[in-house]
Amino acid sequence: MVKEECKALLDALNKVTACYRHMVLTIGGTSDSQNLREELKKTRQKAQELAVANRNKLTTVLKDKSVSKEDKAEFERLWVIFSTCLEILEIDMRRALELGHEFPLNVPKKHLIQTGMSGGTSGVAARAMSVQNMKYEAEHNIDVVDLKDLENEINQVGEMMYEMEMKVNVPQWTVEAKQDPGAELKSTISVGASSIGMISVEENKSFCDISKVLAGIIFTAVLLIAIVLAVCVVKLS
Amino acid sequence: MTVTRLDQGQRYRPRMAFLKKIEALMMEMQSPDTGIKTQTQTVMVANIPHAVTGNDIMQWILQRLQITAEEALHLGDLFVKYGYIYPLQEPKNLTLRADGSLYRFQTPYFWPVQSWAADDTDYAIYLAKKNIKRKGILEEYEKEHYNMLNQKINYKWDFVIMQAKEQYKAGKERKKEDRYALDCQERAYWLVNRTPPGMLDALEYGLDRVTDPNENKKNTMEFYRREIMYYQQAIMKTRVKSSVSLGGIVKYSEQFLSNDPILSGCLPSNPWISDDPEFWDLNAKLVEVPTRMRVERWAFNFSELIRDPKGRQNFQLFLKKEFSGENLGFWEACEDLKYGDQSKVKEKAEEIYKLFLAPGARRWINIDGKTMGITVKGLEHPHRYVLDAAQTHIYMLMKKDSYGRYLKSPIYKEMLAKAVVPQEGVKKSTGLFGRRHLRSSPSPIILRQQEEEAKAREAANTVDITPHSKSPAPPASTTGPQAVPPVSPGPPAPPQGTACPSPISLALDSSTAGPQGTRSPGSRSSWGRFLRRGCWSSAALSPRARAVPHGKVQPLGGRERRRRPDSGAVS
Repeated sequence: MVKEECKALLDALNKVTACYRHMVLTIGGTSDSQNLREELKKTRQKAQELAVANRNKLTTVLKDKSVSKEDKAEFERLWVIFSTCLEILEIDMRRALELGHEFPLNVPKKHLIQTGMSGGTSGVAARAMSVQNMKYEAEHNIDVVDLKDLENEINQVGEMMYEMEMKVNVPQWTVEAKQDPGAELKSTISVGASSIGMISVEENKSFCDISKVLAGIIFTAVLLIAIVLAVCVVKLS
Repeated sequence: MTVTRLDQGQRYRPRMAFLKKIEALMMEMQSPDTGIKTQTQTVMVANIPHAVTGNDIMQWILQRLQITAEEALHLGDLFVKYGYIYPLQEPKNLTLRADGSLYRFQTPYFWPVQSWAADDTDYAIYLAKKNIKRKGILEEYEKEHYNMLNQKINYKWDFVIMQAKEQYKAGKERKKEDRYALDCQERAYWLVNRTPPGMLDALEYGLDRVTDPNENKKNTMEFYRREIMYYQQAIMKTRVKSSVSLGGIVKYSEQFLSNDPILSGCLPSNPWISDDPEFWDLNAKLVEVPTRMRVERWAFNFSELIRDPKGRQNFQLFLKKEFSGENLGFWEACEDLKYGDQSKVKEKAEEIYKLFLAPGARRWINIDGKTMGITVKGLEHPHRYVLDAAQTHIYMLMKKDSYGRYLKSPIYKEMLAKAVVPQEGVKKSTGLFGRRHLRSSPSPIILRQQEEEAKAREAANTVDITPHSKSPAPPASTTGPQAVPPVSPGPPAPPQGTACPSPISLALDSSTAGPQGTRSPGSRSSWGRFLRRGCWSSAALSPRARAVPHGKVQPLGGRERRRRPDSGAVS
């Protein structure tokens, strides 16, 4: 089904974007290395391929007039997710470019920031590329060489986003989120996730209980005092 | 795409030059020989390297920059506040302590950047991730932000949740120690960029700016041309020497010190303190006998005299004796034009022209030919300030000429002698139950009518002897000022007698004569008439001046035809 395919593609793009973010986080830190730069490059290219594939699929679907209304709403929602994902990707790529310029790896004078990271990011990269192990084949000055490619790719992504904006007319604010706030808590990731649901609801409930108990106690105390007083009055009269 | 805010041209973050400077220092700190020595932090069972003590940081700054200890501490504190270094033991307390407490350097991705601010979407992703990790335990302000963001970027919410889950999963691929360090880094980043309530936001910069500091402006010929023009004009600006302007201020302060009620106290007593409004009564606008201080103040300069209504009244008396009363009348008429209703501007301008400026006018003022030319030309398209040139001329005339003589005149001296010096007020007792006799001041409507009456009386009583008119002594004085309806708020008020024609009625309706002419101006202030209905019978209104157009004063349009003033006798 077209919808499932679109969703699968989008999930893949989402995953790659998240991994890319993780990797960009480590540029300039102590776990930075040539390998990292190569991983960045590969992940980036994969992200771009996925983005193009996503775009093509979604544009064909959205241009299709024969799609039903609910489906159309669903595809518009996917479109919004896709464009937001692409924005995040572009920002991360720009950041990577800046940081790449600032932290060239082979210059002895420039030291990496001691961020406390010691391990590598190969696991993350493997996850992004959907492979078991990463193979590193690049030259040892990839950090400098790659920057030009990175610039070009940023421009490409920028153009793609502009084209998307121009060609497809989906007003973003009309899309409603399917998931409620706090939905991530229901996910199976969180270990021992009980049926918590809304965060605020839970908090309110506990507060209500406490206040109810207090009110009950005060009320009974007042009642008791009133009874005692009445008894005294009766006794004395 | 993300919808950007509606901007008023201000959407650039300001130059944050300090960021690059701090970054340079940060890089130097990392050097293995000249940098800071690092230690290992032990958290439960994990060992995380690259922790530094606050004291080390401060010592390094002291030694590298050669500044005082206080400055070094402050600078180090700024590093922590901007998010370049974060504390490990007390994460929420973003200050530098020059002791053994541990800090770590922030990863360059999370350094503050001038080009863009921390994004809302990122913050939402972070909160969602935190939710997953901590199973719903967020700080109060974080919960508020969470709910607010959910509403604000609701259309992105699905993406936020998806991305948060994915980032969480991807984080699992890293070493445990790295995961912990990453958590600390992110938390520190968001503490700096979304400060909790009560904490100082060090990165705040006020409003966005209009110009982009990153823009490379090419200086073209046009730019330099404009710059040269600007500086040339700046040189030619007239400037007053500060010695002159300061001398002026000193002189003014010395002169007015005694008149200032706050600095020198006021007699009889300050009404706000003693609840005794005698001070206001004595200094009312057109009080019969003004206070001595007030009269002395008229002698300071001409603007003081003109500003005070009582002073103007007194000055008018003097001018009448000198046969130049029309000057002040014209000046007052111009003020009325400037500050009156917009709808009446045209009529008022025409009336003023007829009364003061037209050749052969009843109260013709003496201004030079050039000014007259400008004014007459301007009157073709009248607006509020059309008579400005003439008014300034007359003002200067009065100031330079009549004012000096006025101050030496017996009228002024008499006023000065009559002026009362109020006694120091006795504090009145408030009575047993604090009952005070509350007198309310007269209603503004009544006050305005009284003013208009007075003005009408004045206008009627003016004797303007111009070389061309042979108007008789105003018969109005005989009929007395008792029943004068406020026909028009302007100075040209209708006279009582039949001899002096009403210029207003001429302006309005030159063809019809008789009561119709006077009644239509009356309708303009029907409010005043309505109030007077109880006071006077309507019969009093009928025998008004017969407006006989005698052709003496030409209407505005016809002045081209008859330049030579008509010297026919007034009918």
